[in-house]
Parts: sequence; C-alpha cells; structure tokens
Amino acid sequence: MDKRAVFRSWWLPTAFALPQLALIVLFFYWPAVAVVRWAFTLEPPFGGSAEFVGLANFREVFADPLYWNSVLVSLTFALAGTLSTIFIGLVLALAVDRQLPGSGAVRFLYILPYAIAGPAAGLAFRFILSPERGLMASVNSVFPDFWNPARYGSHALILVIVVFAWKWAGYTFIFLLAGLQSVPTSLTEAAAMDGSGPIRRAIDIQIPLLAPTLFFLSVVMMTEGFVGADTYGIVARTTDGGPNHGTDVMVYRIVEEAFRGLNYSGASAQSIVLIGLIMIFTFIQFRFIERRVHYK
Amino acid sequence: MIQRTPYADAFTYGLMALGFLLLIGPFAVIVAAASQTMQQVNAVPFNFLPQNQLIANMTAAWTRADLGTAMLNSFVMASLVTIGKVALSALTAFSIVFFRTPLKHVFFWIVFITLMLPLEVRVVPTYAVAADLFEPIRLAIAWATGITVSVEWNLLNSYAGLTLPLVATATGTFLYRQFFLTLPDELAEAARMDGSGPARFFIDMLLPLSRTNMLALTTIMFVYGWNQYLWPLLMITDPAYKTTMMSLSSLVPHENALPDWNVTLAGALIIMLPPLLVVAVLQRWFVRGLVSSEK
Amino acid sequence: MKPSVFPFVLTGLLAATTLTATTLSATSAHAEKTRFEFWYGLTGDLSDRVQEACSKFNQSQGDFEVVCTSQNAYDATLQNTIAAYRAKKQPAITQIYDAGTLDLMLSKAFVPAKTLMADNGYKIDWDNYFSGIANYYATASGELNSFPFNSSTAMFYYNVDAFQKAGIDFKPDTWEQVEEAARKLKAAGYDCPMGMNFDTWATMEQFSAIHNQPIATQANGYKGLDAEVVFNKTRFVDQVKFLKRLADEKLVVIKTKQLGMDVVPAFTSQTCQMIQTSIADHGTIGRTLPQGVKWEVAMLPVWNGTERQNSLVGGASLWVMAGLPQAQYKGAAAFLAYLGTPEMAQWWSTVTGYIPVTKTGFDAMKANGFYDKAPYKGRELAIASLTYTPTSENTRGIRLGGFTQIRKEVGTALEAIFMQNADVQTALDQAAERSNAVLRRFEKTYSGQTLN
Repeated sequence: MDKRAVFRSWWLPTAFALPQLALIVLFFYWPAVAVVRWAFTLEPPFGGSAEFVGLANFREVFADPLYWNSVLVSLTFALAGTLSTIFIGLVLALAVDRQLPGSGAVRFLYILPYAIAGPAAGLAFRFILSPERGLMASVNSVFPDFWNPARYGSHALILVIVVFAWKWAGYTFIFLLAGLQSVPTSLTEAAAMDGSGPIRRAIDIQIPLLAPTLFFLSVVMMTEGFVGADTYGIVARTTDGGPNHGTDVMVYRIVEEAFRGLNYSGASAQSIVLIGLIMIFTFIQFRFIERRVHYK
Repeated sequence: MIQRTPYADAFTYGLMALGFLLLIGPFAVIVAAASQTMQQVNAVPFNFLPQNQLIANMTAAWTRADLGTAMLNSFVMASLVTIGKVALSALTAFSIVFFRTPLKHVFFWIVFITLMLPLEVRVVPTYAVAADLFEPIRLAIAWATGITVSVEWNLLNSYAGLTLPLVATATGTFLYRQFFLTLPDELAEAARMDGSGPARFFIDMLLPLSRTNMLALTTIMFVYGWNQYLWPLLMITDPAYKTTMMSLSSLVPHENALPDWNVTLAGALIIMLPPLLVVAVLQRWFVRGLVSSEK
Repeated sequence: MKPSVFPFVLTGLLAATTLTATTLSATSAHAEKTRFEFWYGLTGDLSDRVQEACSKFNQSQGDFEVVCTSQNAYDATLQNTIAAYRAKKQPAITQIYDAGTLDLMLSKAFVPAKTLMADNGYKIDWDNYFSGIANYYATASGELNSFPFNSSTAMFYYNVDAFQKAGIDFKPDTWEQVEEAARKLKAAGYDCPMGMNFDTWATMEQFSAIHNQPIATQANGYKGLDAEVVFNKTRFVDQVKFLKRLADEKLVVIKTKQLGMDVVPAFTSQTCQMIQTSIADHGTIGRTLPQGVKWEVAMLPVWNGTERQNSLVGGASLWVMAGLPQAQYKGAAAFLAYLGTPEMAQWWSTVTGYIPVTKTGFDAMKANGFYDKAPYKGRELAIASLTYTPTSENTRGIRLGGFTQIRKEVGTALEAIFMQNADVQTALDQAAERSNAVLRRFEKTYSGQTLN
C-alpha cells in the first residue's frame, strides 16, 4: 500500500488530518481517559474526590451473575441477529440474482428498512407484535399466552432480534447480491450443463465463492449486534431490558448502571470489558480487510 | 444463458414474495394502523386495510410530540453530521493514503481505534467534554506553562454539541481509504510528474472521482445522524433543541391515557420518512459505494 | 500552499456553533430580569400545571424570570441534574423524587433550604410543614434541606358499582376483606377483581410502613450509611405470597405498561375493580371514569389485628443547587416563597391531586369546605393516612443511597415471581442481596461522610 504514497511532506498531511484528529482527541480519547480512570476508582455521582479502589470494580462486575446474564443475552442477540440477517440476505440475493422480471423492483425495496432508526422500529414492532393487538392477538385468542414478550424473556429476546433482523437484512442482501454478481457466469453455466439445478448450483458453487463476503458480514453484524448504535435504542424502546433481565444486552446494562444506578465506576469497568471484546472483533475484521486488499 | 425451468422460477418468485412480505410488510402494517381510528387499531383480528384517518392521526401526533421543532432539529443535526463527515474524512483519508511520512501510520491508528469504542460506553465523560470543551486545552496550558486560563466553551443544548462528537468516528475515513486504495498508482504518480501539488491533485482528481463514494457516505451519515438516540437524549435539556428520536417517548400511549396506537404509529411514520426518502433517492450510489468499501 | 477546501469545512463547523451563539444572544436580549432555571419531572397534565405556576410567578413580579423545563420523568430529572452539575450547567432549582433524597443529601451540591431562605431574608415557619412530610426530607436533627413540593401517599381505590353488583356490603378495610371482595367479584363475573403492577412504592414501601415493618436496618437508613435492607425477612414476604396466591386464583391480575395497560387505566376503563395507587391520581380517575360510575377511595388495607401506622409520603421535593451566582439565589428564594404562599398552595392542591404540605394550607382548605365537595371528596383521607400515628422508626421515611436501583431490584423480583413463577423467598432474597451490594458501594463511595 505504500506504493501509492507518492507525496513527500509531513506538514501537509498533518494539516489535512488535523480537523478530524482534533475532534477525535477531544470527543474520543479525552473521554476514554475518564472511562479508564473511573473504572479504577469509586466516582461519586456528583463528582468530587474519588477513592482509588484498584480492581474492585472489575471484581464486582465479574462476580455479578446478572453481568454474565447480560453477556449471554448479548451473545445470543448478536449471534441470532447475525445468522438471521445473513440467512435472509443470502436467500433473497440468490433469488434476485436469477434476474427474473421484477427483480429490480424488489431489490430497491429490500434495502428500505435500513433507513429506519432502531428505536422507531422497536416502537412500531411493539405494536405489530403486541400480545393484545396487532398481528399476534388473533393467535393468542386461540392459544392463550402463545406469544407474550411481557411475560417470557425468550419471547422478548425474539422480539428485539426480529427488529434487528428486519433493519439489517437488506444491508447484508446488498453485499451478498454484489458478491453473487461477481461470480463468473461461465462457472454456473458449466454446472448447469452438467445438469445440476439452481439449488445445487447455489450450494456447490455460489455460496463457497461468497465465503469472504459472508465472513466480512458476520464480523460486521456481530459488532453491530454487540455495540451498534441501534442496539441500545431497540432494547430501550421495545422491552426496557425486561422481563426479568431477559433482554438486558451489555450496552443497555452499561447505560442503566451509569444513569439509573448512578454507578459510573461499575459502568466504566463494564465498558472496558466490552471494549476488549470489540477489539477482538475489530482486529479480525481489520486483518481480513487488509488481506483482501493485498491479494487483489 | 442458464436455462429456466418453470418450477425454479415459481420457487424464486415465492422467495422474493416472502422477502417482500417480511421486509416491506411491517411498513404496510404501520401505514394501515396509522390510518385507522383508535377502535379499529385495537380490534382483533387486525385489519390490514388502510382507512381514512391518516391525516387526522398525523396531525394529532404532530402537535402531541411537537414534531415541527423536532423534525427541523433532526434535519439540521443529520445534515451537519453528513457535511462534517463527508468533508473531514476525505481530508484524513487523503493524508493517510497518499503521503510518504511515518506520521500517516500514527494518524491511521488514532482514527482506527475509534472503531472500538461506541458512544454508549463513553457517553458520560463525552458529555463532560461537550459541557466544557476547552478543559483539555486549559489543562495542557496549565501543565506546560503553569498559567491557568479560564476560557470555557459549552456545547450543551446546541447544534455543535449534537453533531461534533458524532463526526469524531472512523467510518467515513475508512470508506474513503478503501476507495483511494483501489485507484491506480499511476494516477498520483502522473500528478506528481506534472508538478501539480498534492492539494491540486486532491481537488482536481480525487474529489471528482470520489463522487459515488461521497453520495454513499452521505446516505449512511444522514441515516446515522437522523437516527441518533442516546446522545441527544442526554445532552439536550432545552425543548427547543429536541430531536425526533426524543419525541418518540411522548408518542407512546402514556400509562394513564388511552391506547391510541394509531396516533403513535402515525407519528413514527412521520419520523421514519426523511431517512427513508434519502435511502430511496440515493440508493444507486449508496449501494455502489457500500459494496466497494468491502473490497 | 494552503488547501482551499479548508475554508469550506471550517465554515460548516462554525455554522454549527454560531447557531448557538445567535440563540444565546437572543435570550440575553431579554434585559435586566434575573433568569434562573427550574427542572422538574412531571409530565402531561401535571406538567402544564407547573408551567402555569411558573407563569403566575413571572407575572407576579418584575425582578426575576423562572424558566421551567420538564425533563419528562423523575429519574431523568435526577440524571440530568447530575450531568448538568458535573458540567457546571445546573439549574437553580430541581425537583428530586423521594427515592433520590439521600443521593442529593450527600452530594454537597445543594444549598440547604433553611440557609437559602435565611440568607435572602425570608422568614419561614418550618414547623408548619406536616411532620410526616417534612421528616422524609429533613436531616436527623430535623432541618429541611429541600422544600417539600408535590406530596402524596398511596391509597386504595375501588369501584362501588361493581361492589354492589357483586353483593359486597362492606368496605375493604383489611386484606381479609379484600380477598373476600375479590372472590365475590370473581363469582359475579368480573375478570379482574384487583389490578396490580410491579411498582414497589405501594406494594412494599407503603405496606411496610402501615404495618410498622422495616425496609432496612438503622431506622430505614436514617441512623447510618451502614444500613442493610431486610424486606426479605418481614411481613412483606407474606404479603407477596398472599398476592401471588390471589394472582394464581386470578383474583389479582397483573396490569403493567409492558402488558399494554397499567393499573390506573385498568381501573378507569372498569377492567379492574380495585387498585392501589397514589392520591395524585385522584383527579385523573375522577375525570376519566365515565359519568355516573360510583367509586371510592380509602386508606390502604391492613391485616386484621394489626395496629395501623402512618403511611409514607411520596412525591418530590425542590432542591436548590450550589455553585450559582448570588442573583439567581434571590430569584430562587422568591420563587419558593411564592409557591409556599397559602393561595398558591391551595391552587396547586386543587388543580392536582397532591396534598397540601403545610398545616395552615390544609386547615385553610378544610375550613372553606374543599374536601366536602364532590370531585375532591376523599382526598382528606390521604392526610389522615399520613398523620394516622406519630412516626415510628419504620414510618419516618426511607433514607437509602441508590434507592432507585433498589426499587428496580425489587420490581424485577416481583416480575420474576408473578410472571415467571419464581419462588417468592428466593427471589426476594436475591433482590435483598443485590440491594445490599448497592448500599455497600454507596457507603464506600461516601466513606468518611456521616448522616447529619
């Protein structure tokens, strides 16, 4: 990549990058320092002198079964969200890739949910999938309590995953469709000559060739599920983390701990653990993207 | 050409219809519910047919949640985030890709690490910075010179406070970087041979070439800015700066009021429209830009 | 060479900040009046009433202007006040609910009520506050740090028409009678004899007070930061078991926001025939129930053979924040004195369901027959409940740090018990353990400080 670096100057790139770097330092690194400081002290809510407590906050976090519950909920949310978005995106991409009349129109429509804010979508789905009105009320009137996200943690978790999947399925669809369109037609045609049907061809040829895109998407979606801008909003507006911590994802717990519990230090310790997790994801993503660029 | 079989085609259409139902169906439910009366919207089974109350419900939602102010604020916020991001990340990506200096690696990592720390986990200290923007600078001056200065700049309840922290992230920079890396080496080389400086090259060559990329980023950032939830919730205490996502809570049927979900959903529909329009209109560039960023 | 994109970028960013500059200068154009801010957590109808009070004050004099802003919820008001205080942008006056009292008390971020009024030349008869109300907010030595503002207590509401149809000829004074009434209502075909939510305020805090049960050791926290919760060892446990048994028999039905309808709309839509909720809802209930429906409000039931104690005050008090210019304190003191005038106190209690916080206010209202008239009749029972007995260690109030979080822990336990059939004792033990962790962290955060 250094080959492109043709200009020699140190002040010019600095001047170019300065506005953004200044903002990043102010709004990112400076606050991050405070997060680290709070994680090792007991920060009083109103400020003032804070006592250094070493790793006590971390010990408290790790000893809390509800913290591990939130890790589990976050993992389930991110995994299920990733798998369902990629599955839906893949199936739709394979269908649209056959370029039947009308494909263009649905391709346009599939991406639209991406525009919707998580909290707004969550609010809408609270109605659409409410146990007492909307679509599920009819089912519930025949089988009482068949669907009740206010009562069953599992139902509530399904509800927030549905909102997530709805919003992001169109996004994975775009990438997978682009991936499919770059598969040389000669390959699929040759397979067709051999007499293998569309599903066989998809499994034997197209999906294996999509492996890099699938991997890329799973990393992006996992990160999105763990700490994406919408994850907090979806949970806050749809289930409030309940019932009984059933949808208590890690970001939601951090914000609740800080603002409802007024426990800035505990929330900071949790933040640092979460950052560790994201670093792993980001590292994988970074390595992967870099490798692809090199191989190109 | 691959041969078509009627069965396979029917199956494909079946899948596409199912996808349509799953992804567009919720919009249909929202529109239907938003156009019904309170009795109709609470009826079991749900009636999928839109009724004639849409305008009435939207008007009710508009006044209840004071959407006029909120829509304007969200629009200003989303636009400023978009403009700031499209402009600043281009500059940063340029300096990271096209210069031969050890600094560029420093810059790269400074920007790169921001991918790892979402706003949610550092929201409290970020708030403190927004409240007193010059604190780091004051501390730096005091540390370096021993002089205490008392300059303060407070961004709470302002558009600058709503937008600047959101511009301080990496996404846009990486989109540009990936795109710049796909350009042929000869391009910059030729510019250098011509004797035109890097700034000329950036303006005359790179920016025009980046149009698709910019439009993709515009879409992403507008949606991102419009859909911000937690940050405005925390930093805005003055109703004059309220954004649409903050209005959502005044739209939920209040605990002591009637279950008028028709008004709630009509309001949600209004709030969803602007980013929906942006994605619909800019879709072609958005898709192209996004897909190229993966490479 | 200077890159020419720069001006463009800078203009964009500067435009963002100049916008604030213009709004600021626009507001400062309002001339010499001293402006100060008042943040509150009330919403809807009650928020409109606060705004009305603010404009009344602004019109009553020419020196000060109070800017009143709703923060949309009690807990949000506490959070926003803290964030603003940390950023040195705090309002002059903020409304903090009962549960946040100790968080404020130890913060050193406020000006004590007594100091403020004395410094600004106002004479307040502090003994005029109802002791039941004042005690909740006062220090151990009896001094008020904040001004009691909107005060309420939990009451029992029942639908008299439904009672008559079900042939119930007694009032639900005891929990035995509540059960009997619930059975009769059920037999008469009512699907929801009694509605219940997971708000701990009535179910745990008020129940414990009127049955003289502690919530925590050290006199519910008044005697020291080392208090530990004990609600998992008191009659509250039996009460939850009782309610759970009734819920299993469908005599008690859960009504929460998450399920689509909270207890108050459940009562006003005549879905449920009995509920416990605040006296502050008295006005709403009277307005929302269809004309002609007969209903009554009563003190919360007690168990047979229990000597009833006074109930706890709920609601919020007004705190004056430290660190502001002297002029703002003059305004804040004037505003608080204005709210305390008998006329304003009476107006406030009339338009809302809140009870008057002073003895003279109550006496004045009683004297002019306020409580005899139809829409307000019954509200005097709230005062009767609050002042039923002199306060004991268990009924003075609750002085625990991080009490918002403790309420949430108990609420979650109730959710687990009633929605997911968790064992009552186990769930409450867990909630107590988690609550004690909150208390220990609070104690450590403020180590070295004592309650005064």
